[in-house]
Amino acid sequence: MTDLILQALFSGVLIGGVYALVALGLALSFGAMRIINLAHGELVLLAAYCAYLVETRTGLDPYAAIPLALLVVAGVSAVLFLMIDRIRQDRELNSLILTYAVGIILTNAILLAFASDVRSTASPTLQDAVTLGSVYAMTGEIIAFGLSLVLMVALWWWLKRSWYGRAVRAVSSNRAAATLMGISPGRTELVAFLVAGALASFAGVALYTMSVIQPALGHALTVKAFVITVLAGVGSIPGVFLGALLLGVTEALTVTLASSALQDLAGMVLFLVVLFLLPNGLFGARARRG
Amino acid sequence: MAPAHRDPRIPAPASGKPWRNAALVGACLVLAALPVLLGASNYLLGLLISALILSGIALAWALLGNLGGMVSFGHAAFFGVGAYASALISARLGVPVLLAIPLAGLCAALSALAMLPTLRLSGPYFALAILAYAQIFRILATEATGLTGGGAGLQRFPGLPTILGLDLGSRTGSYGLLVAMVALSALAYEAIRRSHVGTALRAIAHSEDATRVVGVNSVLLKAWMLLLSAFMTGVFGALNAHIIGFLEPAYAFSGLWSVMPIIAAIFGGYRTVLGPIGGAIVIYLFDQLVAKDLIAVGHQILLGLVLVVMVLIAPNGLLGLLKRRAGGRPHADA
Amino acid sequence: MLRKAVAATAMTLALVGGALVASLPARAEEVLVGAHMPLTGSLGRSGQAFEAGMRTAIKIFNDASPRTKIRLQVIDDESTPAAAVSAVEKLVSEKAVAVIGGYGSNIIGPASDAASKLGTVYITAGAVSDELTARGLKTFFRINNNAGYQRGMAGLVESVKPAAVSIIASTKEAPILLARGLEKDLSAKGIRVTVHAFDPAITDFKPLINKVKLQDRSEILIMSAYENDYVGIIRAAKVLKPPLKLVLGAWSLATPKMYQEFPDLMNNVVGTSFLPFPVEMKDQEGRRFAEVFKQLYNKDIEYLATLSFVETTILAEAIGRAAEAGTLSTGGLAEEMRRTDRKTLIGPVRFDATGDNPLFSLSMGQHQDGKVVLVAPPAAATGSLAYPALPW
Repeated sequence: MTDLILQALFSGVLIGGVYALVALGLALSFGAMRIINLAHGELVLLAAYCAYLVETRTGLDPYAAIPLALLVVAGVSAVLFLMIDRIRQDRELNSLILTYAVGIILTNAILLAFASDVRSTASPTLQDAVTLGSVYAMTGEIIAFGLSLVLMVALWWWLKRSWYGRAVRAVSSNRAAATLMGISPGRTELVAFLVAGALASFAGVALYTMSVIQPALGHALTVKAFVITVLAGVGSIPGVFLGALLLGVTEALTVTLASSALQDLAGMVLFLVVLFLLPNGLFGARARRG
Repeated sequence: MAPAHRDPRIPAPASGKPWRNAALVGACLVLAALPVLLGASNYLLGLLISALILSGIALAWALLGNLGGMVSFGHAAFFGVGAYASALISARLGVPVLLAIPLAGLCAALSALAMLPTLRLSGPYFALAILAYAQIFRILATEATGLTGGGAGLQRFPGLPTILGLDLGSRTGSYGLLVAMVALSALAYEAIRRSHVGTALRAIAHSEDATRVVGVNSVLLKAWMLLLSAFMTGVFGALNAHIIGFLEPAYAFSGLWSVMPIIAAIFGGYRTVLGPIGGAIVIYLFDQLVAKDLIAVGHQILLGLVLVVMVLIAPNGLLGLLKRRAGGRPHADA
Repeated sequence: MLRKAVAATAMTLALVGGALVASLPARAEEVLVGAHMPLTGSLGRSGQAFEAGMRTAIKIFNDASPRTKIRLQVIDDESTPAAAVSAVEKLVSEKAVAVIGGYGSNIIGPASDAASKLGTVYITAGAVSDELTARGLKTFFRINNNAGYQRGMAGLVESVKPAAVSIIASTKEAPILLARGLEKDLSAKGIRVTVHAFDPAITDFKPLINKVKLQDRSEILIMSAYENDYVGIIRAAKVLKPPLKLVLGAWSLATPKMYQEFPDLMNNVVGTSFLPFPVEMKDQEGRRFAEVFKQLYNKDIEYLATLSFVETTILAEAIGRAAEAGTLSTGGLAEEMRRTDRKTLIGPVRFDATGDNPLFSLSMGQHQDGKVVLVAPPAAATGSLAYPALPW
């Protein structure tokens, strides 16, 4: 039993690392622009298919696809941003609908370009088993987890120290005041959106190295990312990471202690409980409402 | 925005003259009767039936969105509860189908009681909380094998009956029934919109805090809108179940029932009564008759494009656009 | 207001008109066969494999048939019953003589009901629920069923006499039906069976496999699921290395395509299969199928493509016979379908009164270093089962 639970905790933490990678971008664009990008999961998936393309066409390691993924996803993100920026009325509602529509377009574009077959990395090194005491993992998962940690720290540093990072925080906390300080909100939001796209690129490539992808996956990724954003609370980067780990561990423990059919149920119930009882999320710096 | 002689912050419902409304109702009835009069094929009637089901959900969605100010991404929850409730009530308890359908609507409204805590949430939080409920309901329906048959599905339940010699289970019969149900829902929606409740709700949408000061219980009103929207959606879920004759959780709680109504309502104009109905019909027929012929695999990409264009160019929907062109009152709420 | 009404009326008239134009009859010299398949969504993969098999069958039939030429029209049913029913109605209104059905009993049920009301022959290879044949429709036919899958897989499992078996099953309709059936069959034989149902949304199977490893301690792992699940499950098993002796799956697993795409996961895995790979010389029809399939799609044959190839071939031959006898337009096709009695790539096919194929039973194939070797039942075997044998 102890072995079972240990493995569940370990698997949960590892998968949580990748959830975090998927959620960081969504949390950033939400924090900066107050807009939920419902096409975020599809952006992640787009990057994953870039990795598939590079691996099958060139035989290189999937991680070699990161430059291509960055380029493609940043391009789509920029277009998406320009469209959101054009919305004049009911920005909150219409941005939800707009990004959702872009998600539909991306899902079907991926379907048209890559067919609906399931894809995953063929690299034997990434699939090798790693043993730590009595628990097991795939090399690909360990690498993805490490990448997630590094990117989280990098994002945290960027928000704290760099000029644009501070501008993002300034705009998100008080748009008018930030404008008075000489920060262009539009450009700042664009930068935040592009950084979110970059995070999605890394997440997609990492996803491809450790899991199975297919065109219909994007929406589920978006929902996971949103759940984590809620668990984390707005404006907390370490919160996103911890929230993702919590979700991963909850899911794994549900499978181990109850039934694998209830995994998604557990995640959703956790989401609702936090949503109702903790207005700031688990780690949030600011209130969600008001 | 609103004409200057009114309080611009609290738009009033259209003060249309009676003959105008009568003409509108007449035009709609003629339109609805056309396919039958022209002897449309079963195929076309089948498409229209599916489109009307979507119309019903789109209307319920828009009611919540327009009057309640809440955007839901999970109306599939009510649709699925309604579908299963009606199938089970008619099959297990032997209740006549036409009685089981409104009872199923009540069940859907009951299920919405579980969602009352979401009313405190705003914007995207509410939207995705309802989505979470839809997921939870789907999994519960999958797990409750004794009641629902689980993932293997449910298919032995009665279809629509024959009433006064009219076989409601036939294409023409189902079509007529759905036209009536959509019309009924639209009238109910319009009646609420014109009532004091409607005025209060519009005021809430503009400034919740201000209305609270004047003594409007906004949470209670919103709760009623949620229950009503759930009831309507549940009824259409039940109708669809009896027309299709097979249920499984993945279908009854499919994200499609959440997404298509949103697309339809946005397309037609979700702040109007006729917008969601017309939007659903146009969007569904466009998707099935045109888009499918153009792109066999992945035709939803065209729906996505249509939606993007609508949000960017005509956020008030097709009706809003028509109105602007016709030089009528530009206000979205008319 | 008037303008609005006029605009709306015009729009409706245009739509009605468009539909009327679209429903003009097909050209007379050829016979139209319709099909509805899930070409998009999570089952799109299956629908496309089905379509490939159908088109191959039609090409082979048309090449060999001097008089009757068949034209195939495939419509995307988006895995929704309403769209499938619409598709059937549309195809029949365009004078399709028969409809080939898509995937999943929830789709096939309503769609075949619609076809039955319109008196049109409906055949499927994608719905295994027993409820479908319990309806007693006169025009409904199917070549495979749950009982056949159950027999094929249970037969192989029993032959190696394991003490304990774990079944990992997706909660979707066909997988869960198969899992429950297997559980019953194998338990009756005194084998300890544990079923783990999982939600289709799961991607990380390690916690689940770890239960198989530490709690069940079973010798055989049965996967009743779909392709993406197989990959996830075997990958997790490869990492955790539970003390199994064999990994066994259902449909779409023992195919050259799976081996090609996931070579490091598939070796020694067993799944239901109709043809060995490479296809052997003794099977004339199978070779021709593999050849034309390669020529049309530039890939090796797939599991579902084989199923749809067989159903389409049977249907095409019945159409040919009915056309010859001149009964095609007078409802003779169902009659001809019932006369089917022939050996096919999936074994003998004959239809009983309910339209089911009582002879359906499966052979099981094992991935052995890039080949698919048929290992059971003994009558169909082209090699022997490697046991114990695992992908790792």
